[in-house]
Amino acid sequence: MAASVERPQTIQTMIDGVERYNPENAEVLEEYLAGQCKNGEYDLMANLALLKLYQFNPQLSKIPVIINVLAKSLTAIPKPDYNLCMYLLTDYVDVDEVKRLTHLQQLLEQSRYAEFWNAFEKDKDLVKDIAGFEDAIRQVIALVVSMSFQTIAASVLESYFALKGDAFKQFCEKQQWQLNGTTVSIPINKDNEAKTVVVRESIKFEQLTKVIGYSNEM
Amino acid sequence: MYNDAFEEDDLVAEVELVAQARYSRNADLEDGFNDEVVVSQQPATVQIPDGVRNFILFFYRNVLENNVYELHNVYDTSFNKLTDKYYTKQSWPEAEIIARLVNNDEVFLTLYRELYYRHIYGRLTPTLEHRFRSYENYCDLFNYILNSEGPVNLELPNQWLWDIIDEFIYQFQSFSNYRDRLKSKSEEEIALLRDNPQIWSTYSVLNVLYSFIQKSRINEQLLVSKKGGDMMEAAGEYGARPLYKNLGYFSIIGLLRVNCLMGDFVLALKMMDNVVLNKKALFARVTACHVTAYYYVGFAYMMMRRYADAIKAFSNVLSFLQRTKPYHSRSYQSEQLARKSDQMYALLAMCIALCPTRLDENIHSQLREKFGEHISKMQKGEEGIPIFEELFQYACPKFISASGRLDGTPRADPYTIYMKTFVTDIRNQIKLPTLRSFMKLYTTMGVDKLAKFLEMDPEELKMQLLVFKQKSRQIKWVSGDLLDGEYLPTSDLDFCLKQDVVHIAESKVGRRYADWFLRNINRCEDIVASLEQRA
Repeated sequence: MAASVERPQTIQTMIDGVERYNPENAEVLEEYLAGQCKNGEYDLMANLALLKLYQFNPQLSKIPVIINVLAKSLTAIPKPDYNLCMYLLTDYVDVDEVKRLTHLQQLLEQSRYAEFWNAFEKDKDLVKDIAGFEDAIRQVIALVVSMSFQTIAASVLESYFALKGDAFKQFCEKQQWQLNGTTVSIPINKDNEAKTVVVRESIKFEQLTKVIGYSNEM
Repeated sequence: MYNDAFEEDDLVAEVELVAQARYSRNADLEDGFNDEVVVSQQPATVQIPDGVRNFILFFYRNVLENNVYELHNVYDTSFNKLTDKYYTKQSWPEAEIIARLVNNDEVFLTLYRELYYRHIYGRLTPTLEHRFRSYENYCDLFNYILNSEGPVNLELPNQWLWDIIDEFIYQFQSFSNYRDRLKSKSEEEIALLRDNPQIWSTYSVLNVLYSFIQKSRINEQLLVSKKGGDMMEAAGEYGARPLYKNLGYFSIIGLLRVNCLMGDFVLALKMMDNVVLNKKALFARVTACHVTAYYYVGFAYMMMRRYADAIKAFSNVLSFLQRTKPYHSRSYQSEQLARKSDQMYALLAMCIALCPTRLDENIHSQLREKFGEHISKMQKGEEGIPIFEELFQYACPKFISASGRLDGTPRADPYTIYMKTFVTDIRNQIKLPTLRSFMKLYTTMGVDKLAKFLEMDPEELKMQLLVFKQKSRQIKWVSGDLLDGEYLPTSDLDFCLKQDVVHIAESKVGRRYADWFLRNINRCEDIVASLEQRA
């Protein structure tokens, strides 16, 4: 799986092959994660490798690190990264912070964006280490919105992004959406276009040569 | 990944593949053992039936001679027939008892013990001591193969090599489950477990599998072969020998399985990086391996929400099984294969309910027969959830926890967690099939009207539409390794929202007349040509 960051060679060697299981690598991967949090980058494979080390060596695991990994994976929605991380964290399902993050994840998955921002107000402390978390989430929501809508009421969009007034206008500009008074129009892309497509079969000429050959023999 | 286009000629090739793996033309081989009567018997030993004694002598001779052909018969047919005859309720004689017969040959005894413990696990119930001893036996065997000076001069049939890896992992799985059920254990047993953390530890199991892969340089060989080169160049001293090459290869499939059991689906698929999934792959020669590989690949895809890819994997192997069915029913593994096949149908049913796709006619009719009712219930909303749970429970592998915890603190069973996560995912999409069926009927509709039809609140409906949009696109494999893929639409229904009006578009697949006619014209001509030849 490609990372949205240039993975340094040291990390690459660490997660390839048997080195993945070396518990001494946990610290390096933790530092790498801290870097991801600060710089807004994201590397799923490295984070999963770290969680695997925790799975095998429970004494090494640190809850704050786990929370950071999970919060980072929220920014990858609609990819299933959050679930993939949770599959390696079977022993931590009942930890309070994990439960709160899972609740947030569910709201995002169910596209309940207004509710998400409400709930998020109380849980801001969970993502304090992650720079640009809110912007990353807004990107996730923007992706879904631009796939589904051609025009939408501005008030609805404001509730989806928890943005108002100037901040909202700036956001729309960045997304290249047009704000026309009370509605926002989203440019046509391949996902929000709703065109009827009939998949016709295409026959290549080569496939016909054999049949034409038979008719020749008659 | 899938390089096959199914053609009728391939059926012949597939049948050959399966039939070859069972090259016992002489199914009455083992009866010959009972005819030879050996008169002298040591009075102090346990009574070993003559048939068994002769079998062991024959077996030993073939191991020494590296006669893989005969060994395959011995292993596949004779051992099981004798088991059925003499040892259905008790274990085979212990290694020490037959040691005299084979001149105390350690290597042979290790191999014999492998069969001995496998029989106990299969037909009887192993005790803690059996588990420990079996582990030590495996260590001896693997030590011999991996750490002797230079490659060992031993050849075993492929089926047996796969079964060694398969059974090794199975016993590991069994031990992990056993270890986690602490409540029913005595203090003594718990102390024994605590004193021996290295026995059946996850690290040692993984170590074995990785060592086989490294020693045989199987990944390098596969990479060279994928690029069209000659595998022998990359093989190295060990990898050139079939024993190591096959063990290395089967270890890759073994790692695929172990990673799935521990919930690391991404790594599981990554293991298969250099394995090309098609009929000509090495694993296809051993049916059980073939089926296992596809089962775990499909399951991993399903847990990663790549339902389209999972459906493809399952369809592939289920068609294979169906086409070669008559050749499996004779094998002693036919029961296991049938069970795996049913499990895959169950998983396929779930994937189809989540991501409706056209299936091959044969698979579709089998699926409808076995799980037709389940599928329709799963698409009816909330009441489908228990069906998902039921099928998941039936079809999922026996998950294990990677590290043991012997201090008695309560611990969540990994299976429950995975099931819960899976079902929560499903619950988010459970209303979609109903939504989809309504949307198929219209090209435009107001959100309010649609909400009224579905008896939903309009706001709620808008969220469902957004969810539908997200779920109709998945990462789908296009080319490259198993983990690669592009974010593509997988549903035949698409829509867009303009303010409060939904515009719906359906994509249809045109009828494929040309392909059908071409195929049948060619077939007809072939038949006519062969008739003319005979005339």
